[in-house]
Amino acid sequence: MKKTSRVLTILMFVFLYIPMLVLIVASFNTGKDLTHIEGFTFSQYKELFKDEDLLTLLGNSLLISLLSTAIATAFGTFAAVGIHNMRPKMRKLVMNLTNIPMTNPDIVTGISLSLLFVFVGTSMLHQRESLNFWTLLVAHITFSLPYVILNVMPKLRQMDPALQDAAMDLGCTPLQSFFKVTIHEIMPGIISGAIMAFTMSLDDFVISYFVTGSGFSTLPVEIYSYTKKPMSPKIYAMFTLLFLLIFALMITMNILQIRGEKRKDQKRKTVDSHGKKVFRRVCAAVCSVAVLGTAGLLIFGTRSGKVTLNVMNWGQNIADGTDETLDIIEEFERRHPNIRVNYTTYDSNESLYAKLSGGGLSVDVIIPSDYMIARLIQEDMLQKLDFSNIPNYEYVQQTFKNTDYDPLNEYSVPYTWGTVGIIYNEKFVDPEDVTGWELLWNEKYKGKILMFDNSRDAFGIAQYMLGYDVNTEDPQELADCAKLLKEQNPLVRQYVMDQIYAAMEGENAWIAPYYAGDCMMMMDANPNLAFYLPKNQGFNLFIDAMCVPTCAKNKTEAELFINFLCDPEISGANMDYICYGSPIEGARDYMEEYLAESDVIYPSDEVLKNGTSYSYLPAEVSRSMDEQFMAVRLVGGSTEGGSSTVILIGIIVLLVAFAALPFLPKRKKKK
Amino acid sequence: MSKELIRLQNLTMEFDGEKVLDGINLYFNDKEFLTLLGPSGCGKTTTLRIIGGFQNPTSGDVLFDGKRINDVPPYERQINTVFQRYALFPHLDVYDNIAFGLKVAKLPKDEIQQRVHEILEVVGLKGYGHRSVDSLSGGQQQRVAIARALVNRPKVLLLDEPLAALDLRLRKDMQNELKRIQQAMGITFIYVTHDQEEALSMSDTVVVMDKGRIQQVGRPEDIYNEPKNAFVADFIGESNILDGVMLSDYKVKFFGRTFKCLDAGFAPNEPVDVVIRPEDIDFVPPEEGHLVGTVTSVTFKGLNYDIIVDFKGFKWLIQTTDFQGVGSTVGIRLNPEDIHIMHKSAYSGLFGDYSSYSAEYDELTEDAADEEE
Repeated sequence: MKKTSRVLTILMFVFLYIPMLVLIVASFNTGKDLTHIEGFTFSQYKELFKDEDLLTLLGNSLLISLLSTAIATAFGTFAAVGIHNMRPKMRKLVMNLTNIPMTNPDIVTGISLSLLFVFVGTSMLHQRESLNFWTLLVAHITFSLPYVILNVMPKLRQMDPALQDAAMDLGCTPLQSFFKVTIHEIMPGIISGAIMAFTMSLDDFVISYFVTGSGFSTLPVEIYSYTKKPMSPKIYAMFTLLFLLIFALMITMNILQIRGEKRKDQKRKTVDSHGKKVFRRVCAAVCSVAVLGTAGLLIFGTRSGKVTLNVMNWGQNIADGTDETLDIIEEFERRHPNIRVNYTTYDSNESLYAKLSGGGLSVDVIIPSDYMIARLIQEDMLQKLDFSNIPNYEYVQQTFKNTDYDPLNEYSVPYTWGTVGIIYNEKFVDPEDVTGWELLWNEKYKGKILMFDNSRDAFGIAQYMLGYDVNTEDPQELADCAKLLKEQNPLVRQYVMDQIYAAMEGENAWIAPYYAGDCMMMMDANPNLAFYLPKNQGFNLFIDAMCVPTCAKNKTEAELFINFLCDPEISGANMDYICYGSPIEGARDYMEEYLAESDVIYPSDEVLKNGTSYSYLPAEVSRSMDEQFMAVRLVGGSTEGGSSTVILIGIIVLLVAFAALPFLPKRKKKK
Repeated sequence: MSKELIRLQNLTMEFDGEKVLDGINLYFNDKEFLTLLGPSGCGKTTTLRIIGGFQNPTSGDVLFDGKRINDVPPYERQINTVFQRYALFPHLDVYDNIAFGLKVAKLPKDEIQQRVHEILEVVGLKGYGHRSVDSLSGGQQQRVAIARALVNRPKVLLLDEPLAALDLRLRKDMQNELKRIQQAMGITFIYVTHDQEEALSMSDTVVVMDKGRIQQVGRPEDIYNEPKNAFVADFIGESNILDGVMLSDYKVKFFGRTFKCLDAGFAPNEPVDVVIRPEDIDFVPPEEGHLVGTVTSVTFKGLNYDIIVDFKGFKWLIQTTDFQGVGSTVGIRLNPEDIHIMHKSAYSGLFGDYSSYSAEYDELTEDAADEEE
């Protein structure tokens, strides 16, 4: 029995710590991810410390966490004292009221805070940009407060109430007695409350996501929008460091507690207590200088007379100086020293739309895709551009002018473009079979086919197969597409977006439709992969274009930025990183040769003719499409479902075993 | 007597509609050692807390040197307190605990040092300054608590059952010690206890309280010898309390016999409570006795025997060094000075019968008293 419980305990620790271990291994791995464990390296860490954007985000996160922890700890401690001094009935009620926000789903808290901030900021204070650093800070304080109170309350209850009387008896006012006596008694509670608040704040995503404006963002929120490219291993390195930081914090706290208890049993010496006092003062000084300093830098740094240009782009959709690329933003700031670019990201057209329509933020430049631009124009959310500020517009190729979404070239300037085609593995797929979209329906490759996990792209493929218009609103045609997709379901290994990288590079899947730029990167990683564009049936040609939304404050500077990105040299350098096509004439000359010459990125004009782009569909059509796609996905059980069921059952068995642990009969001692 | 320092006027205290103090009128003289004595829940601690300023009376006034101080917070009163469980600050060492009040008052550093060292000597803890308070014994912690209060040179020191947590030996030592300190410092001590022996041996004045009212105020000897009612008679030492009738001055009748006594001033034929202290009774041969009874129980107490004697169905406690076996017939004589007469009160008939006496009697009442907050 003892053995069983020991095994279970070990299993529990494995269960708890394996995810962290995997992360740490990944951070030292030379390969791209854990499917390629190749060797040991520190290069991820070197990369991390070279990536200023990432470090800035990390700094932002730490700043918000430290500030919100400091404020929440102070407020929470006073609040706890106040609650403690209430009559018992009232105290119980108030404690329950403070506990409720903790059990409240984050998403509810996040949305309601965001509504509140926008309401107060927009209609009461008449701010253009009501979601900013301060709202984020207030939100973090709000959700960390209950944790502080919860940790401090028990210490107050344990404290001998006569101590406060004694302090007052010896001449302390109630406030003095708090600082001279109570605070020392409840310090362990305050510290554990602060640490809890800090960790909660540092890893909060959901609430932050809703209250972040365009100006200031935290690490978890930004990481979430890094979906255009696979997760870069340097992020593993950063998470490892973060994990180790929190781990060290916890250990220190435990050691301090144990030492504190030991010290109580020992006689104290003058030197010791004096030394401790000095140490404490130094610590307090360092902490306050750090917090105040960063806060000050942040507040005054932004007011240094520079114009702040808020740019919102897809995650990982601009060259940032890594992998020997040009740091576009740095270059822009170098050329325009009076402008500071504040760059934030989003993960899909829809979330950009949600942020813009939610109000409360001010963005100067956004880069949505074609169909979203049509929608934004239709809803009056974009401003007409002053093209006299964008002389480089002359470099935009004719193909990308007078598009469906902006027929009169009033609102947008193209940024990148790309196609959707099929990536396949030449080692396993017979070249004779590669004839068109029907490859994705080929029974021969059952279980080795991947499919888009978003309705618009999936339906698009069916529409090209059936020869329908990709922007059809005809319910019968949509139903036909759904039927075709349902037929495909048994052959599909998995419906994927980002996971495609691992599956294709690791050769677990052989055939998949995807965006050309990403395919290019996969082909780079695995030379067996090839790209095919079904030019006869037609394919999706998508354009991401730069626009200035109505909430912009600095339109002229925004146009300056757009003009800068239309410079062929800049655009070319930018594409080296993004791996998409540049709509700028002459940009190809500045791109690396293997990209510039690639027919994946730059198909011939003759091929391009057959590309069509998505335009905006009415809400009810896209909803119906979503619902039908959901039904398609749910047909039958894919292999993916099978393995996750096994994992789920395993987890349940383990949990039951842990729950049963205390009930195991204890083994009697032998001998 | 020296001049009056504190006066309580019509003090009433209610907690959730329950009267804890009911019309307390009391004055405290300067340099006096006054003890509030009573069982748990009698209101003595509440009275002390009101004087200290930790609680506000529901009605009535507290006067200090003739000035009303109801609204003066504790930190502005010239009063310091020694708390029941000492309430030493665990994060400070002995020196800093004692210096606490002086530091709050922002006294110069060398004066603080000098006064702390002085007081450490007074309480006999010289050289203990840098010890942690957790490393001290109960008695030493007690001394620190006293020193911490006294170092501020208050006019009045309040002590809330300060010896309750100490063992018997240490308690006796500390009683002497406290008395010595009080005399040495020359300040008023207001002492709260449920231990009558402690109260009698230390105090200049004892105030006996029960159910939120003062039962008797007086010098220890007067309280002991001339209890005002059955409660006081029973609470201060042991007493046999009998129903009697005062025939005339100096003549009282009980158990069907008339006895001479030293009391006068009662109405003719007034029903009274008669108190006879167990240690005042002497055995005589049955045929010489005023009363004759049978021994029902004997307990050896060290200094004396506790002997229970049944007189006509009423059991008396007699404390004597004179051993009598259980079942033997004994006689007693009562001299006029052994008999104390009291008016009838609400407490009549509740105390003074030893029919249910057992050896644990003392311990039981003490345990109950300890539970007072």
